[in-house]
Amino acid sequence: MAEIDIRHVRKSFQNLEILKAVDLSIRTGEFIVLVGPSGCGKSTLLRMIAGLEEVTAGDIVIDGKRINDLAPRDRNLAMVFQSYALYPHMTVAGNMSYSLRLRKFAQDRIAAAIGEASRVLGLTALMERRPRALSGGQRQRVAMGRAIVREPQAFLWDEPLSNLDARLREQMRAEIKKLHRRLGTTSIYVTHDQIEAMTLADRIVAMDAGTIQQIGTPADLYDRPANLFVAGFIGSPAMNFLHARMASETPTRSALILADGPRMTVPETLGLQAGQAVIVGIRPEHIVVGDAAPRQTGVAGKTGTGAGEAIVDLVEPTGMGAIVHFRLDTVVHKAYHLGRADWKAGDHITVHFPTERLHFFGATDGRRLN
Amino acid sequence: MSVVNQPTPKPLRQSPTRRLATAVEPYLYGAPVVILVATVMLVPLVIGMTYAFRDITLLNPFSGGFVGLANFRKLAHDADFWLALKNTVFWTAASVFFQFVLGLILALLLNRPFAGRGIAQALVFLPWAVPTFLSGLDWAWLFNPVVGPIPHWLVALGLMSQPENILSDPNLAMWGPIVANVWWGIPFFAITMLAALQSIPRDIYEAASIDGAGAFERFRAITVPFLAPTIAIAILLRTVWIANFADLIVVMTNGGPADRTQIVASYIFTTAFRRLDFGYASAIAMVLLGLLMIYSLLIVILRQTLLARF
Repeated sequence: MAEIDIRHVRKSFQNLEILKAVDLSIRTGEFIVLVGPSGCGKSTLLRMIAGLEEVTAGDIVIDGKRINDLAPRDRNLAMVFQSYALYPHMTVAGNMSYSLRLRKFAQDRIAAAIGEASRVLGLTALMERRPRALSGGQRQRVAMGRAIVREPQAFLWDEPLSNLDARLREQMRAEIKKLHRRLGTTSIYVTHDQIEAMTLADRIVAMDAGTIQQIGTPADLYDRPANLFVAGFIGSPAMNFLHARMASETPTRSALILADGPRMTVPETLGLQAGQAVIVGIRPEHIVVGDAAPRQTGVAGKTGTGAGEAIVDLVEPTGMGAIVHFRLDTVVHKAYHLGRADWKAGDHITVHFPTERLHFFGATDGRRLN
Repeated sequence: MSVVNQPTPKPLRQSPTRRLATAVEPYLYGAPVVILVATVMLVPLVIGMTYAFRDITLLNPFSGGFVGLANFRKLAHDADFWLALKNTVFWTAASVFFQFVLGLILALLLNRPFAGRGIAQALVFLPWAVPTFLSGLDWAWLFNPVVGPIPHWLVALGLMSQPENILSDPNLAMWGPIVANVWWGIPFFAITMLAALQSIPRDIYEAASIDGAGAFERFRAITVPFLAPTIAIAILLRTVWIANFADLIVVMTNGGPADRTQIVASYIFTTAFRRLDFGYASAIAMVLLGLLMIYSLLIVILRQTLLARF
């Protein structure tokens, strides 16, 4: 169990800067998820903590001790790899006991440790098998077993579920969460899958292009994304964005003009001057769609409440609901409609954007305004 | 609704010629290769093996008769053969050992990234491209104190009292061709070992280093087990080749001095093409073939057990 402090850490390969001054402090027992698109530097950061990559600048501190120059084996961390990285020539028991054997543990302690781990992970019947005789999920479990027998200060997970099929991923995700609840060991988990990030994390660290975009609880990132990147990355289907201009602002409300003409009044102050560009975001699941009343034929949203008429472009049923792609002016947006959606392409529907669900971002810097 | 009675389909009946064609089809595809291998390898091999049981001396017009096992009986008491067999074992073992050890070290060095690695890799493989005949001549000259520097270096290092040609020293002569062979054969091991090293997933090393393994332990616990099947097959191939490989010896010492560098392969060559005793040469060749086959079988079994661990 450990507290991990990452202070102004940078990483560059030759002239390419992968990480730009990352600061992050992880509390004891916390489950931190680093999430971001590929190439954002999240895996590099994890590998630097593990000692597999050198730190170009800055400090990594575990429990007050600077570990930058410590060899991986002296850091007392355990890592689970995407490819599992099991030793193919060793049995399951051999894989799990390898680190203990290297540390010259007594036979009975090793037996007790791997016995306990295999029981927790349901591997007891497989202990004499070699990795090639195991399924993907079983291999994943062995990799987890290898990590937990050591009782390390912290677990590092490098996209551990990426090689599993969807159902197994869901199942292993829950097992990882239970394992963490049971052991309480500090964990850093790297993934590009925002569902894994949302479900597992105590706190999510959203990264892009080598910098941390936002740190917060899953609810924070979902409800109040700090910028356009986080808003677009967290949530599936992704948030819709509409371009708008500021018309006027009173102390309690703002009037915006959407790019396609209609005005919208929102009960928020955004601190912008008239004419400044703003991006309005709304999550698909917050858009309310309904059948168009037959008499309404005009262009959408003249009323100023964020409601209007749109044309269905595509409907993707997901069983629980449907993703309705609709066209507002020329731009296609997505709405998630719970229940049946029997619309067909070309149908007219009403769409309503509840104003309390809107997110506002500066058009130039992408920062959150409300 | 009515059930329509369809006529039952007639059993498919093929004409006998068609069935014959289907049956021989795969053999026809294989035939060209089989014919080629048979004419250039199998038939000469069988004819050569029959020579072992006959008295065939090229310059004796009355030879050619069947002599049973006489050639083999003579072989059992032929001191030259036993010396050659001993020399073969030494020549092969020393050459393979040094080629393997140095080749593996070279491969390990080339497997780590450094500036100019591409050029270094290309240069390292050059000796393999030199014809053995030429490298044999070059090395013979290098060992010659009149034109070559090696004896003088050995004197300077205090390993030799005065510059002499080791190729003419009965106790050291075998080391001459062995050195040439090691120089020439290292690239083979380096190439095969490097290919095998590069196929070891990097994250297994990373997992091991996190698990607590130092550099030597990683080599012992990961590199060696991963390389073992490749090492087995490479050593098998090299052993068979080197045991049969008389080029360097013929060029550098021609079996001398006093037959101290005569190996079975060069003894066969001398018996057949110098003494023109094809019957006896065939008998020796058959014994060598038998020994190498037994050896190969052992290595293949070893490799299978190594592979079964993965």
